[in-house]
Amino acid sequence: MRPCGIFDRNYGQDMAIIRTWQHWASLLGALVILYLFPLFGSYYLVSFINLAAISVIAVLGLQIVSGYCGQISFGQAAFMAVGAYTSSVLTTHFGVSFWLALPLSGVVAGAVGAIGGAPSLRIKGMYLAMATIAIHFVLIWLVLHLEITGSFKGLYPPSPTLGGFEFDTDEKMFYIIVSVMLIMTYCARNLVRTRVGRAFVAIRDNDLAGEVMGINLYYYKLLAFFISCFYAGIAGSLWAHLITVVNAEQFTLLHALEFVGMLIIGGMGSIPGVFFGVLFIKILNELVLFTSPVLAGAFPWLGSSPAAAMGLIAFGLAVSIFLIFEPRGLAHRWEIFKASYRLYPFAN
Amino acid sequence: MKARYLNICSVFAGLFLTLALFRVTAAKEVSYLSLADYTGPIAGLNVPADMGLSDFIKEINEKGGVDGIKINFIGIDTRYDVARAVSAYKRYRRTEKLLMVNSISTGIGKAVAGLIEKDKRAQIVPGDGEYQAHVQRTFLWGPAYQDALAATFDWIMEDWKAKGNAGAPVVGYLSWDNPYGREHLRGGQEYAQKIGIKLLPPEFFPPGTLKHDVYLTRLAKGGANYIHAGGVDPTPTNVIRDAYSLGLTKKIQFTTDYWGPTELGLGVHAEVLEGIVITSFFQRGEDAKANSFVTDMWKRNRGSMEKFNEVYGMGISWGITFVEGLKASVKAAGFEKLEGDDMYKAYQTLKGLDKKGIQGPCAYSDKSRRGSLEVKIYRITKGKALPISDWRTAPDAVSLHKF
Amino acid sequence: MLEFLQQAITGLMIGSLYSLVAAGIVLVYKSTHVVSLAHGQLVAFGALFFWFFFGSFGWPLWASLIPAFILTAAIGLLIERLALRPLIGQPLFAAFLMTFAVFITLEGIFVLYLKGETRALPAFLPEGNIALGGLSVPVNQMVSFLVAVLLFIALSLVFKFTKVGLGMRATAEDHRLAQGTGITVRKIFSYVWVLSGLVATVAGIAIAGVMDIYYMLPYIGINGLIVAICGGLDSLSGAFVVGLLLGVVENVGAGYLDPLVGGGVKDVVSYIVLLMVLLVRPYGLFGLTRIERI
Repeated sequence: MRPCGIFDRNYGQDMAIIRTWQHWASLLGALVILYLFPLFGSYYLVSFINLAAISVIAVLGLQIVSGYCGQISFGQAAFMAVGAYTSSVLTTHFGVSFWLALPLSGVVAGAVGAIGGAPSLRIKGMYLAMATIAIHFVLIWLVLHLEITGSFKGLYPPSPTLGGFEFDTDEKMFYIIVSVMLIMTYCARNLVRTRVGRAFVAIRDNDLAGEVMGINLYYYKLLAFFISCFYAGIAGSLWAHLITVVNAEQFTLLHALEFVGMLIIGGMGSIPGVFFGVLFIKILNELVLFTSPVLAGAFPWLGSSPAAAMGLIAFGLAVSIFLIFEPRGLAHRWEIFKASYRLYPFAN
Repeated sequence: MKARYLNICSVFAGLFLTLALFRVTAAKEVSYLSLADYTGPIAGLNVPADMGLSDFIKEINEKGGVDGIKINFIGIDTRYDVARAVSAYKRYRRTEKLLMVNSISTGIGKAVAGLIEKDKRAQIVPGDGEYQAHVQRTFLWGPAYQDALAATFDWIMEDWKAKGNAGAPVVGYLSWDNPYGREHLRGGQEYAQKIGIKLLPPEFFPPGTLKHDVYLTRLAKGGANYIHAGGVDPTPTNVIRDAYSLGLTKKIQFTTDYWGPTELGLGVHAEVLEGIVITSFFQRGEDAKANSFVTDMWKRNRGSMEKFNEVYGMGISWGITFVEGLKASVKAAGFEKLEGDDMYKAYQTLKGLDKKGIQGPCAYSDKSRRGSLEVKIYRITKGKALPISDWRTAPDAVSLHKF
Repeated sequence: MLEFLQQAITGLMIGSLYSLVAAGIVLVYKSTHVVSLAHGQLVAFGALFFWFFFGSFGWPLWASLIPAFILTAAIGLLIERLALRPLIGQPLFAAFLMTFAVFITLEGIFVLYLKGETRALPAFLPEGNIALGGLSVPVNQMVSFLVAVLLFIALSLVFKFTKVGLGMRATAEDHRLAQGTGITVRKIFSYVWVLSGLVATVAGIAIAGVMDIYYMLPYIGINGLIVAICGGLDSLSGAFVVGLLLGVVENVGAGYLDPLVGGGVKDVVSYIVLLMVLLVRPYGLFGLTRIERI
């Protein structure tokens, strides 16, 4: 659907994501503001964006495997752990530079993910979800017991450096994390429009019909897991070098569940939905953190610090409300909003 | 209709946010950040301890503060989750005059330590010997975990000889399969070797295990005369319950570290826990109930003694140390220029500080990160934790291990 | 050999607890085809309600059982009414995700109530050990084992002979056909959730007999899920047998593998078993084979 008075003259225009000069202007404006943000934004907001951007990368991967390819995975936190540990092992034990370790950790996590996704060749739906939970626990057990991953002591990866410049604060890491996030978003947005992306959607909608059409199910399912876990690995590597310590206790099943919740709230099968979902949950968490001391003061029986419990309740309620009232997530709301803006004088 | 509903919701959410952000700050205030677990595996210890600390701080503030300086206590629930703790620390990192961070959990302490070094601040953690071995900005609550385990081994040796046995006792160790569970043995193992105790291969189980029979029977089969059960309550209690139902408690003497059964658990499982020995760096059971400084504060703030927990006292002892550190740092640097670094320097001068008998005198110095050196041995008799020794200096097991 | 047998028997006792948890999951799946992640919370709340009346108010055993059963069944009914009924007509997967949301919400309430404390039940089962030719079995675990056996027998009788049970089986076959024969499927759904709440209470009380009630309790639901899936989600006998088997495997695995790899095998063994079962027989060891090629 086009805004009034915009006509496509060739295929390229028809397929373009960014169509009008207003689009270009707002995109560039947003990028400039984003990159200048650490100069005027508060430290708190900068570190909030860092953590949110890492979640965005992980959830983008989940979106590809779950939202597009229809293979639900509760293992994203564990694959993130694989990325974080790969990057830390490479930089601390082998002295590899961060810039090489970052893509490598993506590849290693992707490979582990492709092996971990093997059950998807035989099972789907909740069976697969349970299998990924099992994989989560096996992976976490492994990093806790292998010697190379520092077993229970964890590892202390260094901050990235570039020609003597050390990215050792949140403001400096902001540029790496946000740039990587933008590249990953660009790749994901385009990936789902290619042959591969269409194959994923076909598998999600009806795998038997897809196979009849000539889609190699084994290949594409494993590819979906590889790509998804590549994203998780990148997110894990960034996380490791931002926090500069990795530890098996950082990657719990609750995080994986949170990623799935973000996906549901944002909307399955939509790249902007990832951003909405992550921001919704992250802001909800912050709101709970700020309001729970107020609530605890007002209702003493809640105990001295009800934040974690209130956070869980808010998160669970939000996910169930979205499942009942808006199963297509915030992305769908956003589409409706865009459509009404485009059709402005003619419809509401 | 739906859209309007959503709008109303978002307006309310925004209102809430602004209300929460709008905080009146006192003129002269310093902050203390507690990264504690109020709802997870170690909450049984964190909740009462931070209760003690916050009551202590509240009473100080009501009396006008320390030289007119009010203390702002910030308690954050981490659920034993390192990621949550790190992001919480980052949120408060640039708080004006944030002087002390209490990272409750071995994993969290390690994760935050690096940031603490960068921010030139000080933190306190439970008891990882690592920070004594490499002296940095991290202080321990009491003696290191390995020191306390060594003190337990000393007691085992005495008990073994007192019972008229010859040779060396065989000791089993079982604990959580995580950083905390393994920390004790880094040094503890070496100490056992040094004094001639035969330590069986340690057993580790995941937190939340339903039954511990396998581990217990294996240790029993290995010929253990003593078994040290690690983990934060209720884990040790559950371990000992399993041992009791296996009939092991009669043959084998069980010991726990100071996160073992508290006053609250003793009442319900009195019969099961009979005879258990606890090595503690802070006052427990009847001792704690006899310390009027602690119990008066409990009664003033919490009412009846029915739900009293001795870990409350440990929280007060953090408070005493913090207030003394604050006095010293204000004297050295003045309030206006006060920073985390001054607190770090002040903590190193606190050697010999009396902690109202809750734990041994403070042992912080430029070389020492131990909160105190003494431990006391308790035995559970008829549902009461009674001391069976005086305060005694825990042996230095940290130096035996290569960190 | 004796050591092996002893470990196996301990495993059987733990396994019977897993079976009890899995029973509720199987019940729900059989009729509604929803895999309930929230079941662990029902178990935890069952234990908590029982503690409320038995441990806190000091009511006699039988009198505290009744309100515990009623309250937990009410939670089951509420889950069905408020969370799952609005999703009728949507893909089953949405219902699965809904049970996950319910798990998180109830977890929050559980944690908010406990505030990190522990609730300990006073011993309510006979203590002591039975010696069986060199093996020793604690009496209280023997009792919960027998309770599990009786419960499974009772459940299969209900399914076989009562009208509600027949209705549940018919619903399990095909919702529309069942509707056509005059069974109110919605009512059956409510019954099933109530029944699963009742079974969860039994499981919760049995578990609280060996472990204090604290924040880890709901996660027993994951073990229950593993058992239910390995046994075949629609097979009660599968849940029973596999529950026992898994208890034994875990215990023996921890018994023999821990010394080799340095601890913590107990949890991982069951996940590896789950993965293997899923790869070899995705419909479970005793489940009904529904042929669908992927």
